[in-house]
Amino acid sequence: MKEILLKRLSDGVTEMEEEEVEQAAGEYLAAGYPVIDGIMKGLVDGMNRAGRLYEEEEYFVTDILLCSDAMYAGLNLLKPHLPETDEKNRVKCVIGVVEGDTHDIGKNLVKIMLETAGFEMIDLGRDVTLSGFVEAVKEEGAKLLCMSSLMTTTMEGMERVIRLLEEAGIRNQVKVMIGGGPVSQKFADKIGADAYSENAVEAVRIAKQLLHIA
Amino acid sequence: MGKIQDFPCAPDGAGDIGREAVHRLHLALPDIHRKAEPMALAAQACKDDKGAEFCVLPFCHTVEAEAMGGLICYGDEIAGPRGKEYVCHTLEELSDLPAIDFEKGRIHEVLLACRLLKEEKERVALHISGPFTILNLLIDAGIVYRAMRKRPEFMKEVFGKVGNEILRFMEAARSCGVDIISYADSAGGVNILGPKLAEQIVKDFTYGFLKQAESRLEKKVLVHLCPKTVYALIGAGYARYEEIRLPALERDTGSTLMYASQAGELCPGRGAGESAVWPSGHFVKYGEACVEMIGKVQFAGQMCIKHAEHKLENGRFQAVKLY
Repeated sequence: MKEILLKRLSDGVTEMEEEEVEQAAGEYLAAGYPVIDGIMKGLVDGMNRAGRLYEEEEYFVTDILLCSDAMYAGLNLLKPHLPETDEKNRVKCVIGVVEGDTHDIGKNLVKIMLETAGFEMIDLGRDVTLSGFVEAVKEEGAKLLCMSSLMTTTMEGMERVIRLLEEAGIRNQVKVMIGGGPVSQKFADKIGADAYSENAVEAVRIAKQLLHIA
Repeated sequence: MGKIQDFPCAPDGAGDIGREAVHRLHLALPDIHRKAEPMALAAQACKDDKGAEFCVLPFCHTVEAEAMGGLICYGDEIAGPRGKEYVCHTLEELSDLPAIDFEKGRIHEVLLACRLLKEEKERVALHISGPFTILNLLIDAGIVYRAMRKRPEFMKEVFGKVGNEILRFMEAARSCGVDIISYADSAGGVNILGPKLAEQIVKDFTYGFLKQAESRLEKKVLVHLCPKTVYALIGAGYARYEEIRLPALERDTGSTLMYASQAGELCPGRGAGESAVWPSGHFVKYGEACVEMIGKVQFAGQMCIKHAEHKLENGRFQAVKLY
């Protein structure tokens, strides 16, 4: 029975069936199975499958958004029943689109996939002041900072953020990953970022590598 | 019908504002986005600096959304105009968006700038955005993308409403003497929507919208489509490229047109009878080719209009023909 419910949760996310996920999550809770399994082996598994389909260009942005709606619908039901210790161990990640740019589709996808992978996401939104990134990293004690930009004119701001992290003396406490249309590995190397990610699925792999998370 | 392919939008700074010209003329950056005279001066200076064939304006993609109630931050040296907080939070609010008043606000200034440039005998290209770009400044893009899947009929109505405002803007542009309308909607590209949804948009909106534009503009204005839009139209089976041989320019002796196209039917009266073979070493800049096609074809879009300096060395222009 547990396996069937986990499969329903996973399939429901991959197939963007929000109501089905809510129903399966309700039944899963009522049956008293471990909540963490419902999240990891059900919802997250479904989202990971959606991520693979995205990577294979079977799914696109709209699909991922709908899958994430289904996942969050299930999470909203399951999460309140999660033991507190499971929540406290999550690695914090600050994410945002740099000042001057409001293109946040890619950033939102990265946020969804990292959240799915277990990161605690602090989303600063779009058009974020450069100092705002540094302050958030400092305040939250974030281990990962993700910045994106779709414009050549604003991508230079990422370098400034890295310099500000150095000036604040916290550069060695946080890994910096960047992405966005005009951004490249070459640019990441040039500005001293720790990594560049081409898409949201790759971002998860790279983030885990950077932070030595299994 | 083929598969819709994506046109990779490679940012290379080709469309950036000529900051040097803006400084040289002592223009304030917010003003070149907000006021007709500095906007026109900046567009003219940029054209002169590049040796381009036409002035291009405005310098952002926020004018239409602002005219429909959007909140815009005009930016600074580093980043230009962009959306502030969203004015709509639900889909239903999109139905209540106001019609554009072309007699006031920044959109009025843009049209006035077009007129000023025409009075200076300039050729003018006006950027006009498509519905995804406009809506993305009014409401969270995620809400629109989700609704495309969950409430397609409602979104069809929203697109119809926004599309009608865009058509009115195109007509207003025509009245001001605009020569080229550069239409783009990169937020609605196949790379974001996926092939199925991209095809649905062509079917439900783009094709009908452009058909209306065709009938309202009557080739008085060349509509230059972003290749992302063209690829979607072609991939969905609603348009095709039609090759046109261009007349060559004799570069050594100024700008004299050297000979006519082989086909001739679309570029008539240019020394027909001369060599039909494209002479080696000769070229036509893409911008020149677009100007040559004004009044002759309705739609173009074989490359990004930002690459107006690109040399067409084979003398072949691709018009876009809607079925």
